Amino acid sequence: MKKPILLLVFTATLLTGCSTMMSVIPKSEAYKGMYAEKPLSILLMPPINKSTAVDAKEYFHSTLSVPLANAGYYVIPAFLSMEILKRESAYDAELFLDTPLKKFGEVFGADVALFTIIHKWDKTYGMVYVDVEYIIKSVKTNEILYARRGQINYNTTVQSNVSGGGLAGALISMAVTVAATAANTAATKYVDVARIANAYTFKDLPVGAYGPYNPEEPNEMAGLKEFTVTLNSQYKTY
Amino acid sequence: MKKIIILTVSVLLLAACSTQQTLYSWGNYENASYNYLKNNDELSTQELIKTYQEIIDKQKGKRGAVPPGIYADYGFILLQANRTEEGKAMLLKEISLYPESKVFIERILKMTEK
Repeated sequence: MKKPILLLVFTATLLTGCSTMMSVIPKSEAYKGMYAEKPLSILLMPPINKSTAVDAKEYFHSTLSVPLANAGYYVIPAFLSMEILKRESAYDAELFLDTPLKKFGEVFGADVALFTIIHKWDKTYGMVYVDVEYIIKSVKTNEILYARRGQINYNTTVQSNVSGGGLAGALISMAVTVAATAANTAATKYVDVARIANAYTFKDLPVGAYGPYNPEEPNEMAGLKEFTVTLNSQYKTY
Repeated sequence: MKKIIILTVSVLLLAACSTQQTLYSWGNYENASYNYLKNNDELSTQELIKTYQEIIDKQKGKRGAVPPGIYADYGFILLQANRTEEGKAMLLKEISLYPESKVFIERILKMTEK
Protein backbone atom coordinates (compact mmCIF):
# COMPACT_ATOMS: atom_id res chain seq x y z
CA MET A 1 0.00 0.00 0.00
CA LYS A 2 2.86 2.28 0.79
CA LYS A 3 4.47 2.03 -2.60
CA PRO A 4 1.53 3.13 -4.74
CA ILE A 5 1.16 6.21 -2.58
CA LEU A 6 4.81 6.98 -3.00
CA LEU A 7 4.45 6.57 -6.72
CA LEU A 8 1.48 8.87 -6.78
CA VAL A 9 3.32 11.54 -4.86
CA PHE A 10 6.24 11.07 -7.17
CA THR A 11 4.04 11.45 -10.25
CA ALA A 12 2.41 14.52 -8.83
CA THR A 13 5.78 16.06 -8.13
CA LEU A 14 6.97 15.38 -11.64
CA LEU A 15 3.79 16.77 -13.12
CA THR A 16 4.13 19.93 -11.10
CA GLY A 17 7.57 20.18 -12.58
CA CYS A 18 6.26 20.12 -16.11
CA SER A 19 3.40 22.55 -15.79
CA THR A 20 3.59 26.21 -14.93
CA MET A 21 1.63 27.23 -11.87
CA MET A 22 -1.59 28.61 -13.20
CA SER A 23 -3.59 31.67 -12.38
CA VAL A 24 -7.36 31.74 -12.68
CA ILE A 25 -7.32 34.19 -15.54
CA PRO A 26 -7.70 32.79 -19.05
CA LYS A 27 -5.05 33.75 -21.58
CA SER A 28 -7.68 35.51 -23.69
CA GLU A 29 -8.01 38.00 -20.86
CA ALA A 30 -4.48 38.08 -19.45
CA TYR A 31 -2.91 38.46 -22.88
CA LYS A 32 -5.77 40.17 -24.67
CA GLY A 33 -3.39 42.35 -26.67
CA MET A 34 -1.47 39.35 -27.98
CA TYR A 35 -4.64 37.90 -29.45
CA ALA A 36 -5.80 41.26 -30.78
CA GLU A 37 -2.53 42.23 -32.45
CA LYS A 38 -1.30 38.73 -33.36
CA PRO A 39 2.32 39.84 -33.52
CA LEU A 40 4.51 37.94 -35.93
CA SER A 41 8.00 39.31 -35.41
CA ILE A 42 9.75 39.92 -32.11
CA LEU A 43 12.76 42.13 -31.54
CA LEU A 44 14.93 41.07 -28.62
CA MET A 45 15.95 44.20 -26.79
CA PRO A 46 19.33 44.01 -25.06
CA PRO A 47 18.57 42.73 -21.56
CA ILE A 48 18.52 45.31 -18.81
CA ASN A 49 20.96 44.10 -16.20
CA LYS A 50 20.34 45.27 -12.67
CA SER A 51 22.15 42.33 -11.15
CA THR A 52 25.75 42.11 -10.06
CA ALA A 53 26.57 39.48 -12.69
CA VAL A 54 28.46 41.59 -15.22
CA ASP A 55 28.21 39.28 -18.22
CA ALA A 56 24.51 38.72 -17.75
CA LYS A 57 23.40 41.01 -20.54
CA GLU A 58 24.92 39.30 -23.57
CA TYR A 59 24.62 35.77 -22.29
CA PHE A 60 21.01 36.15 -21.33
CA HIS A 61 20.27 37.69 -24.72
CA SER A 62 21.70 34.64 -26.48
CA THR A 63 19.20 32.34 -24.78
CA LEU A 64 16.04 34.14 -25.88
CA SER A 65 15.78 33.21 -29.58
CA VAL A 66 15.19 29.50 -29.20
CA PRO A 67 12.15 29.51 -26.88
CA LEU A 68 10.43 32.31 -28.84
CA ALA A 69 11.07 30.74 -32.25
CA ASN A 70 9.86 27.41 -30.90
CA ALA A 71 6.72 29.21 -29.73
CA GLY A 72 6.01 30.14 -33.35
CA TYR A 73 7.33 33.69 -33.62
CA TYR A 74 9.65 35.26 -36.12
CA VAL A 75 12.57 36.27 -33.95
CA ILE A 76 14.56 39.06 -35.55
CA PRO A 77 18.12 37.72 -36.05
CA ALA A 78 19.74 37.98 -32.63
CA PHE A 79 23.39 38.70 -33.45
CA LEU A 80 22.60 40.97 -36.35
CA SER A 81 20.01 43.04 -34.48
CA MET A 82 22.27 43.30 -31.42
CA GLU A 83 25.04 44.68 -33.64
CA ILE A 84 22.73 47.30 -35.16
CA LEU A 85 21.33 48.28 -31.77
CA LYS A 86 24.87 48.81 -30.55
CA ARG A 87 25.78 50.92 -33.57
CA GLU A 88 22.65 53.00 -33.21
CA SER A 89 23.39 53.63 -29.54
CA ALA A 90 20.34 51.68 -28.52
CA TYR A 91 22.23 49.16 -26.44
CA ASP A 92 20.71 50.35 -23.19
CA ALA A 93 17.16 49.18 -23.41
CA GLU A 94 16.16 50.93 -20.18
CA LEU A 95 16.09 54.14 -22.24
CA PHE A 96 13.25 52.74 -24.33
CA LEU A 97 11.08 51.06 -21.73
CA ASP A 98 8.78 54.05 -21.53
CA THR A 99 9.32 55.70 -24.89
CA PRO A 100 7.55 55.20 -28.23
CA LEU A 101 8.89 52.12 -30.02
CA LYS A 102 7.72 53.02 -33.51
CA LYS A 103 11.28 53.48 -34.71
CA PHE A 104 12.06 49.84 -33.88
CA GLY A 105 9.15 48.82 -36.04
CA GLU A 106 10.50 50.84 -38.93
CA VAL A 107 14.12 49.73 -38.71
CA PHE A 108 13.67 46.09 -37.78
CA GLY A 109 10.21 45.33 -39.06
CA ALA A 110 9.28 44.33 -35.53
CA ASP A 111 5.69 44.01 -34.35
CA VAL A 112 6.68 43.71 -30.71
CA ALA A 113 9.77 44.23 -28.59
CA LEU A 114 10.77 41.92 -25.77
CA PHE A 115 12.33 43.69 -22.82
CA THR A 116 14.00 41.59 -20.17
CA ILE A 117 15.10 42.93 -16.83
CA ILE A 118 17.52 40.87 -14.78
CA HIS A 119 16.78 42.09 -11.28
CA LYS A 120 18.86 39.56 -9.45
CA TRP A 121 21.38 36.85 -10.25
CA ASP A 122 22.99 35.59 -7.09
CA LYS A 123 25.02 32.47 -6.68
CA THR A 124 25.54 30.75 -3.40
CA TYR A 125 26.79 27.27 -2.78
CA GLY A 126 24.45 24.90 -4.56
CA MET A 127 21.88 27.51 -5.53
CA VAL A 128 21.39 30.28 -8.07
CA TYR A 129 18.72 32.84 -7.19
CA VAL A 130 17.34 34.57 -10.25
CA ASP A 131 14.75 37.31 -10.52
CA VAL A 132 13.85 38.09 -14.11
CA GLU A 133 11.09 40.17 -15.63
CA TYR A 134 9.82 39.70 -19.19
CA ILE A 135 7.82 42.42 -20.92
CA ILE A 136 6.50 42.23 -24.46
CA LYS A 137 5.42 45.63 -25.78
CA SER A 138 3.65 46.48 -29.00
CA VAL A 139 5.73 48.80 -31.17
CA LYS A 140 2.53 50.19 -32.63
CA THR A 141 0.57 51.04 -29.50
CA ASN A 142 3.36 50.84 -26.92
CA GLU A 143 1.05 48.75 -24.82
CA ILE A 144 2.28 45.87 -22.69
CA LEU A 145 0.92 42.70 -24.26
CA TYR A 146 2.61 40.18 -21.99
CA ALA A 147 4.45 40.56 -18.72
CA ARG A 148 5.68 38.07 -16.17
CA ARG A 149 8.22 38.20 -13.42
CA GLY A 150 9.76 35.13 -11.87
CA GLN A 151 11.88 34.35 -8.87
CA ILE A 152 13.62 31.24 -10.02
CA ASN A 153 15.63 29.32 -7.51
CA TYR A 154 17.89 26.94 -9.35
CA ASN A 155 19.30 24.02 -7.45
CA THR A 156 22.73 23.21 -8.86
CA THR A 157 23.31 20.21 -6.66
CA VAL A 158 20.88 18.05 -8.58
CA GLN A 159 22.90 16.16 -11.13
CA SER A 160 21.78 15.32 -14.62
CA ASN A 161 22.20 11.61 -14.09
CA VAL A 162 19.69 9.97 -11.86
CA SER A 163 21.03 6.69 -10.61
CA GLY A 164 19.99 4.06 -8.17
CA GLY A 165 16.38 5.11 -8.22
CA GLY A 166 15.19 1.71 -9.37
CA LEU A 167 11.81 2.06 -11.00
CA ALA A 168 11.64 5.74 -10.16
CA GLY A 169 15.02 6.30 -11.71
CA ALA A 170 14.00 4.46 -14.82
CA LEU A 171 10.89 6.59 -15.08
CA ILE A 172 12.85 9.77 -14.81
CA SER A 173 15.38 8.80 -17.41
CA MET A 174 12.51 7.84 -19.68
CA ALA A 175 10.85 11.20 -19.21
CA VAL A 176 13.81 13.45 -19.13
CA THR A 177 16.31 13.32 -21.91
CA VAL A 178 19.22 15.10 -20.41
CA ALA A 179 21.61 16.46 -22.96
CA ALA A 180 25.18 16.01 -21.96
CA THR A 181 26.59 19.41 -21.25
CA ALA A 182 30.10 19.67 -22.57
CA ALA A 183 31.60 21.77 -19.84
CA ASN A 184 30.14 22.06 -16.40
CA THR A 185 31.78 25.35 -15.67
CA ALA A 186 30.21 28.00 -13.54
CA ALA A 187 29.64 30.13 -16.63
CA THR A 188 27.86 27.40 -18.54
CA LYS A 189 25.56 27.04 -15.61
CA TYR A 190 24.66 30.64 -16.15
CA VAL A 191 23.13 30.01 -19.57
CA ASP A 192 21.59 26.78 -18.33
CA VAL A 193 19.71 28.70 -15.69
CA ALA A 194 18.71 31.36 -18.21
CA ARG A 195 17.31 28.72 -20.56
CA ILE A 196 15.30 27.14 -17.83
CA ALA A 197 13.96 30.49 -16.63
CA ASN A 198 12.92 31.35 -20.20
CA ALA A 199 11.34 27.99 -20.85
CA TYR A 200 9.39 28.05 -17.60
CA THR A 201 8.18 31.60 -18.09
CA PHE A 202 7.20 31.35 -21.75
CA LYS A 203 5.20 28.15 -21.24
CA ASP A 204 2.01 30.18 -21.23
CA LEU A 205 2.94 32.50 -24.10
CA PRO A 206 0.25 32.41 -26.78
CA VAL A 207 1.54 30.50 -29.80
CA GLY A 208 2.76 32.63 -32.71
CA ALA A 209 1.93 32.47 -36.41
CA TYR A 210 4.29 29.57 -37.18
CA GLY A 211 3.19 27.48 -34.25
CA PRO A 212 0.46 24.88 -34.22
CA TYR A 213 -2.91 26.61 -34.06
CA ASN A 214 -5.00 25.54 -31.11
CA PRO A 215 -8.51 27.03 -30.99
CA GLU A 216 -8.75 26.16 -27.29
CA GLU A 217 -5.66 28.09 -26.34
CA PRO A 218 -7.35 31.40 -25.37
CA ASN A 219 -9.41 29.48 -22.81
CA GLU A 220 -6.37 27.98 -21.12
CA MET A 221 -5.31 29.60 -17.88
CA ALA A 222 -2.46 32.08 -17.96
CA GLY A 223 0.45 31.51 -15.63
CA LEU A 224 0.84 33.65 -12.54
CA LYS A 225 2.02 37.14 -13.37
CA GLU A 226 4.53 36.93 -10.56
CA PHE A 227 5.80 33.56 -9.52
CA THR A 228 8.39 31.81 -7.43
CA VAL A 229 9.64 28.39 -8.36
CA THR A 230 12.50 26.06 -7.53
CA LEU A 231 13.88 24.16 -10.49
CA ASN A 232 16.93 22.11 -11.38
CA SER A 233 18.74 20.78 -14.42
CA GLN A 234 16.10 18.12 -14.94
CA TYR A 235 13.56 20.70 -16.01
CA LYS A 236 12.92 20.12 -19.67
CA THR A 237 13.43 23.30 -21.66
CA TYR A 238 11.55 22.00 -24.69
CA MET B 1 -2.66 -4.46 -10.21
CA LYS B 2 -3.29 -1.03 -8.80
CA LYS B 3 0.41 -0.38 -8.93
CA ILE B 4 0.55 -1.25 -12.60
CA ILE B 5 -2.29 1.11 -13.41
CA ILE B 6 -0.66 3.93 -11.53
CA LEU B 7 2.61 3.23 -13.26
CA THR B 8 0.99 3.20 -16.67
CA VAL B 9 -0.78 6.45 -15.96
CA SER B 10 2.45 7.99 -14.74
CA VAL B 11 4.32 6.95 -17.85
CA LEU B 12 1.56 8.21 -20.12
CA LEU B 13 1.35 11.53 -18.34
CA LEU B 14 5.08 11.94 -18.39
CA ALA B 15 5.20 11.04 -22.03
CA ALA B 16 2.57 13.66 -22.74
CA CYS B 17 4.59 16.39 -21.15
CA SER B 18 8.02 15.51 -22.36
CA THR B 19 8.07 14.04 -25.83
CA GLN B 20 6.67 16.94 -27.83
CA GLN B 21 8.61 17.59 -30.97
CA THR B 22 9.61 21.22 -31.24
CA LEU B 23 9.02 23.44 -34.28
CA TYR B 24 12.74 23.51 -35.04
CA SER B 25 15.85 21.55 -34.18
CA TRP B 26 18.81 23.64 -33.05
CA GLY B 27 21.71 21.24 -32.84
CA ASN B 28 24.49 22.77 -30.83
CA TYR B 29 23.18 26.31 -31.33
CA GLU B 30 22.93 27.40 -27.72
CA ASN B 31 26.40 26.28 -26.69
CA ALA B 32 27.97 27.50 -29.92
CA SER B 33 26.48 30.99 -29.61
CA TYR B 34 27.48 31.14 -25.97
CA ASN B 35 31.07 30.19 -26.80
CA TYR B 36 31.13 32.69 -29.64
CA LEU B 37 29.96 35.49 -27.35
CA LYS B 38 32.38 34.49 -24.67
CA ASN B 39 35.53 33.87 -26.68
CA ASN B 40 34.92 35.59 -30.01
CA ASP B 41 37.96 33.87 -31.53
CA GLU B 42 38.65 31.82 -34.64
CA LEU B 43 37.72 28.52 -33.01
CA SER B 44 34.36 29.66 -31.64
CA THR B 45 33.53 31.38 -34.93
CA GLN B 46 34.23 28.17 -36.86
CA GLU B 47 32.14 26.22 -34.37
CA LEU B 48 29.25 28.62 -34.84
CA ILE B 49 29.51 28.46 -38.64
CA LYS B 50 29.49 24.68 -38.49
CA THR B 51 26.46 24.76 -36.22
CA TYR B 52 24.50 27.04 -38.56
CA GLN B 53 25.32 24.75 -41.48
CA GLU B 54 24.07 21.75 -39.53
CA ILE B 55 20.83 23.46 -38.52
CA ILE B 56 20.23 24.20 -42.20
CA ASP B 57 21.29 20.80 -43.57
CA LYS B 58 19.86 18.55 -40.88
CA GLN B 59 16.67 20.29 -39.86
CA LYS B 60 14.50 17.87 -37.88
CA GLY B 61 11.88 20.23 -36.49
CA LYS B 62 8.15 19.83 -36.90
CA ARG B 63 7.99 22.61 -39.50
CA GLY B 64 10.80 21.20 -41.56
CA ALA B 65 12.01 24.76 -42.10
CA VAL B 66 15.18 26.56 -41.10
CA PRO B 67 14.45 28.55 -37.90
CA PRO B 68 13.98 32.34 -38.00
CA GLY B 69 17.20 34.32 -38.00
CA ILE B 70 19.55 31.42 -38.74
CA TYR B 71 20.28 32.31 -42.37
CA ALA B 72 20.60 35.98 -41.44
CA ASP B 73 22.93 35.54 -38.48
CA TYR B 74 24.94 32.99 -40.47
CA GLY B 75 25.23 35.60 -43.22
CA PHE B 76 26.30 38.21 -40.69
CA ILE B 77 29.08 35.99 -39.34
CA LEU B 78 30.25 35.25 -42.90
CA LEU B 79 30.27 38.97 -43.72
CA GLN B 80 32.41 39.60 -40.68
CA ALA B 81 34.79 36.87 -41.83
CA ASN B 82 35.05 38.75 -45.15
CA ARG B 83 33.18 36.03 -46.99
CA THR B 84 31.02 38.76 -48.47
CA GLU B 85 29.31 37.00 -51.36
CA GLU B 86 28.38 33.94 -49.30
CA GLY B 87 27.18 36.23 -46.54
CA LYS B 88 24.92 38.20 -48.86
CA ALA B 89 23.51 34.99 -50.32
CA MET B 90 22.53 33.87 -46.82
CA LEU B 91 20.84 37.19 -46.08
CA LEU B 92 18.80 36.81 -49.27
CA LYS B 93 17.75 33.33 -48.16
CA GLU B 94 16.41 34.79 -44.93
CA ILE B 95 14.22 37.17 -46.90
CA SER B 96 12.87 34.48 -49.17
CA LEU B 97 12.07 32.14 -46.28
CA TYR B 98 10.78 34.88 -43.96
CA PRO B 99 9.43 37.85 -45.98
CA GLU B 100 8.76 39.73 -42.74
CA SER B 101 12.54 40.13 -42.43
CA LYS B 102 12.76 42.13 -45.65
CA VAL B 103 12.74 45.63 -44.13
CA PHE B 104 15.62 44.87 -41.80
CA ILE B 105 17.72 42.62 -44.04
CA GLU B 106 17.56 44.96 -47.01
CA ARG B 107 18.91 47.66 -44.76
CA ILE B 108 21.86 45.39 -43.92
CA LEU B 109 22.42 44.54 -47.57
CA LYS B 110 22.55 48.24 -48.37
CA MET B 111 25.14 48.73 -45.64
CA THR B 112 27.35 46.10 -47.28
CA GLU B 113 27.26 48.05 -50.56
CA LYS B 114 28.91 51.03 -48.97
